[in-house]
Amino acid sequence: MWHRVVPFFEDRFRVVSFDHMGSGRSDLTFYEPEKYSTLDGYVADLLAVCDALDLQDVILVAHSVAAMMAIKAAVASPRSFRRLVLVAPSASYVNDPSDGYVGGFTQEDIVGLLESLDSNYFAWSAALAPVVMRNPAAPELTDELEASFCRTNPDTARNFARVSFLSDIRSDLRDVTVPALILQCSEDLLAPPEVGRYLNGQLAGSTLVELEATGHVPQASAPEETAQVILQYLATDSS
Amino acid sequence: MTDGTNYEELYQQAPCGYLITDDTWTITAANDTFLTWTGYSSDEVRGKPLPQLMPIGDRLLHATNSVARMQLTGAVSEVSLEIIDAAGNRIAALLTAVRATGTDGSTEIRVIIFNAHERRKYELELVAARRRAEESEARSLRAEAGLQHLALHDSLTGLPNRAGLASILVRELENAPPGMKVAVLFVDLDHFKAVNDSLGHNAGDELLTVVAQRLSSTVRASGTVARLSGDEFVVVEHVSTLSDATALAERLLETVNGSMVIEGLEVVCSASIGIALTDDDRTDVARLLRQADIAMYRAKARGRNTWDVHDPSQADPATNRMRLLGELRHGIKAGQLRVHYQPRMDIATNAINGVEALVRWEHPTRGLLQPADFIDLAEESGLIRALGAWVLDEAVKQGTHWNRGMPEYAPIAVAVNLSTRQLLDPQLVHTVATTLTRHNFDPHLLTLEITETALMENPAAALNVLTTLKVLGVGLAIDDFGTGYASLTYLKNFPIDELKIDQSFVSGLGSNDGDSAIVSSCIQLAHAVGIRAVAEGVETADQRSTLLTLGCDLAQGYHYSRPLTAESITQWITNQTDAPARRTSAATQPSTEDTVDALISDLASAMENHKEAEAPTGRQLTSPEYLDLNVDLKA
Repeated sequence: MWHRVVPFFEDRFRVVSFDHMGSGRSDLTFYEPEKYSTLDGYVADLLAVCDALDLQDVILVAHSVAAMMAIKAAVASPRSFRRLVLVAPSASYVNDPSDGYVGGFTQEDIVGLLESLDSNYFAWSAALAPVVMRNPAAPELTDELEASFCRTNPDTARNFARVSFLSDIRSDLRDVTVPALILQCSEDLLAPPEVGRYLNGQLAGSTLVELEATGHVPQASAPEETAQVILQYLATDSS
Repeated sequence: MTDGTNYEELYQQAPCGYLITDDTWTITAANDTFLTWTGYSSDEVRGKPLPQLMPIGDRLLHATNSVARMQLTGAVSEVSLEIIDAAGNRIAALLTAVRATGTDGSTEIRVIIFNAHERRKYELELVAARRRAEESEARSLRAEAGLQHLALHDSLTGLPNRAGLASILVRELENAPPGMKVAVLFVDLDHFKAVNDSLGHNAGDELLTVVAQRLSSTVRASGTVARLSGDEFVVVEHVSTLSDATALAERLLETVNGSMVIEGLEVVCSASIGIALTDDDRTDVARLLRQADIAMYRAKARGRNTWDVHDPSQADPATNRMRLLGELRHGIKAGQLRVHYQPRMDIATNAINGVEALVRWEHPTRGLLQPADFIDLAEESGLIRALGAWVLDEAVKQGTHWNRGMPEYAPIAVAVNLSTRQLLDPQLVHTVATTLTRHNFDPHLLTLEITETALMENPAAALNVLTTLKVLGVGLAIDDFGTGYASLTYLKNFPIDELKIDQSFVSGLGSNDGDSAIVSSCIQLAHAVGIRAVAEGVETADQRSTLLTLGCDLAQGYHYSRPLTAESITQWITNQTDAPARRTSAATQPSTEDTVDALISDLASAMENHKEAEAPTGRQLTSPEYLDLNVDLKA
């Protein structure tokens, strides 16, 4: 999903990107259902990547549910990260009538979603396969890749969707000390504008930027705008 | 384009739904097939975002996946989803779409929607089958967990068994909170076998169950009670100091000591407890259990119904025992075992009555070892059977030799010790009989000595064996009398010829009133039931003259001679200056039942007084509690 944005950074930064367990080209033989039944399993992997590559002063760019993981990682290991860039983030997708929090979805929606995980099982599993860019020069290569992705275990996608939509990291926000950039899209089904404002209010030292880009995946729909906003933010970084 | 009308019809009446949307997926056109299929009018769908026709799950999938794919690659294909029709029903469908430039030059998305009812049905069946398989797997996992539970727990008490304890201990050792140690208490019931043998296995099981419940209710919730085997329990708890562990041991003893009613009989039970604590660097499960086990044996040796603590400064006796056992096996084969003999003297006449055969081990590096150094080991390992048979044969052979070779000193009787295990060996009677026949030895000159403890191990079986031996004509003696746990009332029931008064009482003769009273009572009691009294460990002339006054029949000890080799005994006998005076018979007339009971009562109170007067160090007295237990068992 990031390949349109990455080129904007490669001349100035070392860019490390990876597929989370269960998605893309991750090795499913290492998939442990229990470990990945909460965000913590993914957070541990993220920190392990930083550790293995001995990354210092990391600017962590994360999208959607991965932004939840980034926030948890910043709480767990604040000194590893210099900045967080949270693209279309959310603290919880479910509205909380008890304190007026707007996440975008009602409990009923969540029930419908969980139902869909079984009733449209194969579509959910296909959703975690990588987006394959057609290479007109070698179409057979692409097909081969796609075929291998179809063999992934559909349950991992189902579990991932569950983790994504049922996680609530609101209580972690006050512990974040790493400054964050929040990119809020317009007309984002998954993250209404209230969510961006909420995060901005809760995350100390955070900056909220509302993008022109519509939808939930600005790095796909508006890669240049997304990249430029991030670059600008980092340019003002005096430290 | 040859005929536009046909294409329009093909578009409207196509076998699938056609939709055109703008690049935000807002519907701008829909064909008749789609409208007929969904029941919407054209106006209802035009201007509506396509995801609004999907249920929430598919809408999310669309927003997170299809939208981005379309932006990145310009196409999505065969996306499985549902369309909500005008009546609110869900229609399973497949969506394929491409991005294109419309006739007005703007970007549009061309969408086809196939009815995928059959495919969705098939998918649902697959998923259902998968869930069933998962459920079945979960069931077999649960069954496996059940089996696992069985494998790790004792079926009688429900407590963890040895394997269960091992895994618990591994966990406890790893997770001991900082500053806390793991205390392992090895709890072994005293004389459990007597209960099992007297009341039967059901009663034994009932008793174990009660004990298991009592132990469990005494430990903290975080603690563990396991049953290793038979009457062996292990208690594990986190403690901060050793005194926490010993306090726990006290509580455990107290709870075990409380009387219980088993099959209508009141039974008082006791236990011996060995304590071992983890130290900082040695956290090995097997070692910890072994240390507690060793400490438990020390508690047993100290008189039972007490606890002892493993002393880390001591070398591990278990390792030594294994090595010693190997050496003993070899020593028996290599002929390192010897039989020595100690004269047994007629106190009144000072004539030799006979000898007691005592086994010695000429250990190649440790010198001459006493039975105390290796008999327990032989007993536990089963080597005692071969060793005992050899000693018996050697002693009887030597006895024959003396009686034939020195007729002027004959008859010379021979006494041989029998261990607990020998006593219960089904081959024993056969072994004794064939040994006597082999050497043509007068059975009346052979006395077999059985300790009080061995008798009490299994009184019913012992009575059986002794009665059979009696038929052979051999004499029977109770050895170390007063040190075991026998109910004195048992004395009347066994076909005994001789009571051997333990040397610990004899040594106090003249200096300790309590000991004198006990020795006196023993002698009277022996005579009252018509058997001989023999004093062991007579070391001084004063002791000998006191025994003479008390009417004791025979004596042995350093006052006469230490145990000697057969050759030295021959020498010793012939060196006796006094001409061998013929002994008068020591036979006495049994007294009445009442007299015997009165004497038993006297002896019991002499022992009790003695126990109160002097805390025993290194010797044990019959415990009144255990007397109670035996009386109960007989009831």
